[in-house]
Amino acid sequence: MKKMQTDRNYEGIWIFGDYRNYFQNRVTLQLISKGKELAQALKTEVTVLVLGNRIHQYAMEYVAHGADVVMVVDHPRLKDYHVETYTLLVAKMVESFRPEIFLAGATAFGREFFPRLAKRLRTGLSADCVSLEIDSESGLLVQTTPAFGGDLLAEIVTPDHRPQMATVHPGVFEERVHDPLAVGRIVYPELEIEADERVQLMRTRPEQVRKVNLEDAPVVFAGGRGLGSMERFQVLFDLAELLGGEVGATRPAILSGWVEDTRLLGQTGKSVKPRLLVTAGTSGALQYTSGIQGAEAIVAINRDPHAPIFKIADLGLVGDAHAILGLLLEKLRKRL
Amino acid sequence: MNIAVCIKQVPDIPTIRMDRERMTVIREGVESVINPLDGVALEAALGLRDTWGGNVTVLSMGPPQSEEALREALARGADQAVLLTSPAFAGADTLSTSHVLATAIARLNPCPDLVLCGRQTIDSDTGHVGPQIAEELDFPQVCGVHEIHVETDALVVKQVSDGFLNTLRVSMPALLTVSQGLSVPRHIPLGDLERAFSDRKVIRWGLEDLGLQAEEVGLMGSATRVWRLYTPPPRRRGEILSGPPHRLVEHLITMLEAMGILDEEDANG
Repeated sequence: MKKMQTDRNYEGIWIFGDYRNYFQNRVTLQLISKGKELAQALKTEVTVLVLGNRIHQYAMEYVAHGADVVMVVDHPRLKDYHVETYTLLVAKMVESFRPEIFLAGATAFGREFFPRLAKRLRTGLSADCVSLEIDSESGLLVQTTPAFGGDLLAEIVTPDHRPQMATVHPGVFEERVHDPLAVGRIVYPELEIEADERVQLMRTRPEQVRKVNLEDAPVVFAGGRGLGSMERFQVLFDLAELLGGEVGATRPAILSGWVEDTRLLGQTGKSVKPRLLVTAGTSGALQYTSGIQGAEAIVAINRDPHAPIFKIADLGLVGDAHAILGLLLEKLRKRL
Repeated sequence: MNIAVCIKQVPDIPTIRMDRERMTVIREGVESVINPLDGVALEAALGLRDTWGGNVTVLSMGPPQSEEALREALARGADQAVLLTSPAFAGADTLSTSHVLATAIARLNPCPDLVLCGRQTIDSDTGHVGPQIAEELDFPQVCGVHEIHVETDALVVKQVSDGFLNTLRVSMPALLTVSQGLSVPRHIPLGDLERAFSDRKVIRWGLEDLGLQAEEVGLMGSATRVWRLYTPPPRRRGEILSGPPHRLVEHLITMLEAMGILDEEDANG
């Protein structure tokens, strides 16, 4: 076996700490947990980098969830998340501390901030990964991401540039249990705070939409373009209401305007873990199925017996989704 | 206001096939279109130009057939179209794609006040290229914008990001990526139909035209490598049933009962 070729000029795993909506947005905690696994393979430490104002409480939380080090940059000017200012500061920190790997959640902010940071650092970045591991021969970070419309998975590596950067899909890794006795170092690096004022946040408020709680729903009915029309898609809402569930959709159904994009399932949408997921009129592109694989049971309904969706189904029903779902609704209404 | 719009030609459906040996996309037999969100960006650019004056330049990096997408953009009303094409550009990751696009945008005369891109493409879906162009041009950026208002030397834009509705003021020159739902009202003058058939050509720029070296573009200029492509293993293989709908629904209901999602029907039921 070849010797591990990790570049010792760069060492350690960094995670961008995103603490906004702490109680819903768990991706940083999921990354710490995964980062610990990677760190074990590389015999190194996990550092969470957190920028903001009055954020000490989050540093404690990150230690309790497994961080070896939390690096805190606390300043009134960092109160709001700001791509240009964060790029300015974080690029300087990366250049002086030289982490080998740098991960962020594929949140909207992560997907806006990390590409700019990677470009400034002249390094590679993979998007929305669903798996991360260390190759035992080369020591490289293998970043797995759905590719080319979603039929395939691609393993991406960044051989010669550092840090190796990736954004990671929320929900694919399990967070560690909160351990109040965990020990970690909290450090406050000396840093001159500069701000890029070309973009100014004038107002911000929570988006007012009807809350769709797909992630916690015990039952999810999901539909794709195969359902044929917006009217036919509605049966999913009726079924979900009867069984106390939620409705999800594939990207083509959303692009067709049948349902709002907060219901998107899959790589760029939500990952769900219901007890039961019924998916109808969906062919089974990986970009979609990556978001539903966590379901305990999957029932697929599709007219085409060879549709890839059947490969991941516990029960596959070959037939007309409109007829089957209509009949199911009728029977359930009689019973419930 | 002079605006540059970056567009990408993508397969019409998100279920393209791969040539596993070459690790390239099989394009034969698949209709190509302008990436939907890039189309939204183009419409917004045309609307802003119609209101505020200036011109709209559309750029695309891709194989020679990407010219079709640029022709369509000219037909929709763009003033100028530039195809960035060279065998050396092949195999590019987002780092080297953004390098080619940013280099081309910096060469436009006059330099644009605004660069617009779609937030993401339907084929590769990284969303990296917009922010990376902004970084190379040293323009501020806002991603996923659904409203644009023009002020003197600045734009006021709205973005929905991680559950927040943000209103941001961004000085120009700037780069915005647009999301669905952005619309800038636009009069379609009758002249547009004539423009579509005019003989305006798509400008082509290759490696030398851009003053670039082969090492800084395409696969050679990329930091990432695709190590392996594979079809994911099936998660499980369950029962697959066909037959009349009422039989299928019976099976489904039995499963729901077994899982405790439905109470078992009583004997009289």
